[in-house]
Amino acid sequence: MSLLNKRKKPEPKAVLVESDRKVLEVIKSKKEMAIWSRDLKMETNLSDVVISKSLKNLLNSSLIKEVVHAQQKGRKHYIAAEFEPSKEVTGGSWYVNGDLDTAFIDQLKDLCLKIIRKLKVVTADGVYDFFKTNRLTNTDCTSQQISEILRSMVLDNMIIDVKSTGLGEYHSIPIGKLCYRCPPGDVNQGPKKGALVSIPCGVCPRIRECTPDGLISPTTCVYYNKWLDF
Amino acid sequence: MFRDINATPRRRGRDHCRTKFSAETPDMTSPYGIKLSVHLISTYFGDIVSKVCECLLRKGTLSHAQIMHSTELSKQNVTNSLLVLIQHNCVQSFAIQQPGGFGEPPKIVTKYMALHDNIIHHMRFPKFLSIVSNEFGQDCTEIFEGLLQHGRLSMNQIMDRHKDKHKALVTDGENSKVTSTLHENFNKLAQARYIERCPAHEPFLEPVEEGAKKRMAKSKIGDFSQTLEARALAAAAPMESIRFLVETDAWSNGALDDDSKNSPSTKIPGEKRKHDSLEPETESWATNKNKEILWRVNFEEFVRRLRHKSCVSHVTTRMDSVAGIVLTAIFEASRKDETKVKMEKTVPLLLETIFEEAMKSEEGRSLTLGRVRGSLVQMGCELPTIGIDEIYSIDLKTIIDKAQTLEVESVVLKKYGREAYRIFRLLSESERSFETDKISATTFVEKKDALKILFQLWKDDFLHMERIEAQKTEIMLWKLNKRSVWEQVLDDMYHAALNLKLRLVHELEQAKDILRVLKGKSLGDEVLEKRRRVGDKWKVLEASLMILDDAIMLFHHF
Repeated sequence: MSLLNKRKKPEPKAVLVESDRKVLEVIKSKKEMAIWSRDLKMETNLSDVVISKSLKNLLNSSLIKEVVHAQQKGRKHYIAAEFEPSKEVTGGSWYVNGDLDTAFIDQLKDLCLKIIRKLKVVTADGVYDFFKTNRLTNTDCTSQQISEILRSMVLDNMIIDVKSTGLGEYHSIPIGKLCYRCPPGDVNQGPKKGALVSIPCGVCPRIRECTPDGLISPTTCVYYNKWLDF
Repeated sequence: MFRDINATPRRRGRDHCRTKFSAETPDMTSPYGIKLSVHLISTYFGDIVSKVCECLLRKGTLSHAQIMHSTELSKQNVTNSLLVLIQHNCVQSFAIQQPGGFGEPPKIVTKYMALHDNIIHHMRFPKFLSIVSNEFGQDCTEIFEGLLQHGRLSMNQIMDRHKDKHKALVTDGENSKVTSTLHENFNKLAQARYIERCPAHEPFLEPVEEGAKKRMAKSKIGDFSQTLEARALAAAAPMESIRFLVETDAWSNGALDDDSKNSPSTKIPGEKRKHDSLEPETESWATNKNKEILWRVNFEEFVRRLRHKSCVSHVTTRMDSVAGIVLTAIFEASRKDETKVKMEKTVPLLLETIFEEAMKSEEGRSLTLGRVRGSLVQMGCELPTIGIDEIYSIDLKTIIDKAQTLEVESVVLKKYGREAYRIFRLLSESERSFETDKISATTFVEKKDALKILFQLWKDDFLHMERIEAQKTEIMLWKLNKRSVWEQVLDDMYHAALNLKLRLVHELEQAKDILRVLKGKSLGDEVLEKRRRVGDKWKVLEASLMILDDAIMLFHHF
């Protein structure tokens, strides 16, 4: 090991007292799962003041680090410096600093849609291969991530999932394999508008209070007046 | 450890009301379904008739005396109202034997049941009329219109009606020609099953044995086929062999309905019968029945047609126009073989038969056998692995289910937003429960937001929630309350349809005022503009009602 590397290693500047060591021990025992400061208090049986002081000390010594828990953003979590936070803590690959990386997700969705439009019918592997071959993103994404994106796009009705029939445009895909395609009609129009939501009553927040002769009634309804205001 | 959140007092109260309501009504009609029916009857036949109808809809099957007691109407009013309702196929009567008290012999009592579906069908007459008009033209439409207007008519009455209408045009010499044309058109309607012989006026239901009665009481709701009402309808229905039979010599008054007279469904043990309060009209009915066969519109056939239309439209939108053409061909080829309206699957047909039928239509002429096969597979059929004959049957239930889900999804999207829409679609895909984290991860909704949406949907009765406590952590499981959501959506649809109807009446009244003021004055631009606006409002309301009614049919009849 070179001298340069040796120098890079964090050296504890302050001397650890008994309480610091106790806190560090508990944090280390949690490994990549991290620990909430309140739980730390429970497990160490130390007072708030002592714990705060120890945490400060340990942070300054770079022996521990603070992490944002994706599901409990308001709660301070600590992890030993040698561990990386687990998927449960970070929220998985779609989270950055505890926040859902919507920009990245939207970018991937957009690219997937373009690929499906271009290839007409394609499997999840097909989309992933297209990504890899054409290096469409700066960051690497896994085949699992692409599958997750496609699944959410199906739930959004941006694309539909169908099983290959092996006939016509499905001829290159094995029969029964799940593949993706654009829904018929204009994609930008979104899902078909239902009959009930085409009239004011379909989405009326006061529908339960509406009666023929009541204070809220179809004859006095403000939503109707607005709807029929030609 | 399980804790069912549905067991809160709020929920229990609401569910209790719903169950209580269901138990009282014969066919579990929704509250606003009843209100809409009552409004329709009130509009068409007046308040007294609607009062009797409402009483039957709310309280279930009743005798004449019970109706009088509940409505506090006079005997004559109740009798007349019942006659109007029976004439327009909104009520079915039947006779049952009831045990007499204190050593008295059993007596025969006539009961009356409201036919909710038939009442709501009155709103659909323009649709039915347009189907007949498109298929058979003006002459058939006239006959059909008569039946819609009068409920039940004999052939002679139809003939008289026709003569009255075309009095000026028909000379004596042409009379026989007119008669034969009318007969021909009438035959066409019967052949197409658009009209049918009326059911027996008052079938007698044999008493149910004691053991069977107990079984029936236990199964009560949920097994409609065993109810008294279902038995009455089955007993009243004419036999299939004569249901659409037009007798060639029936144009004279002497044509006696021998078949129906002898059929077991219409047998009433007259000599044993003790006449109840409705004696006068039942007798007049019986006399009338002996004279002529009465005909009415066969609503069932129209519901079937509209169901087909809805399925075709759905596959065309979801897949492509070829799927629509192929499904239309299947319906056409199996038209006579469908036994009931709610067929879960189409009648199995050979690929060649479907292809030949598709080729008959202009749009289907360019299709190849391979393309038709591809479309059938796309609609969920499996390719036969071995075998000489390729037989296909389309799963219609899946198509209907999908169409219903789309309707509910559109409500969720508009009411709760895009993220809720994704969550709802995830939950509606399968009947199992999903954990909050899983929902959040699959739909790309932050857990905090996902929880907010899930709680909102739960509060509005869309979801069922279950808390599971395991290892100090609490997991929440969410599941779609499909049955209750679908019932609620249907009730909302009836409510919305009633509101559209009421608004139409309101707009009409408003327009009357405008027209009254304008009477006698020359029409200026401003007046014309006002009239145009009123016309537009009516058009929007009428069109919306028809579209909404398609959705009601999708949820209730299909």
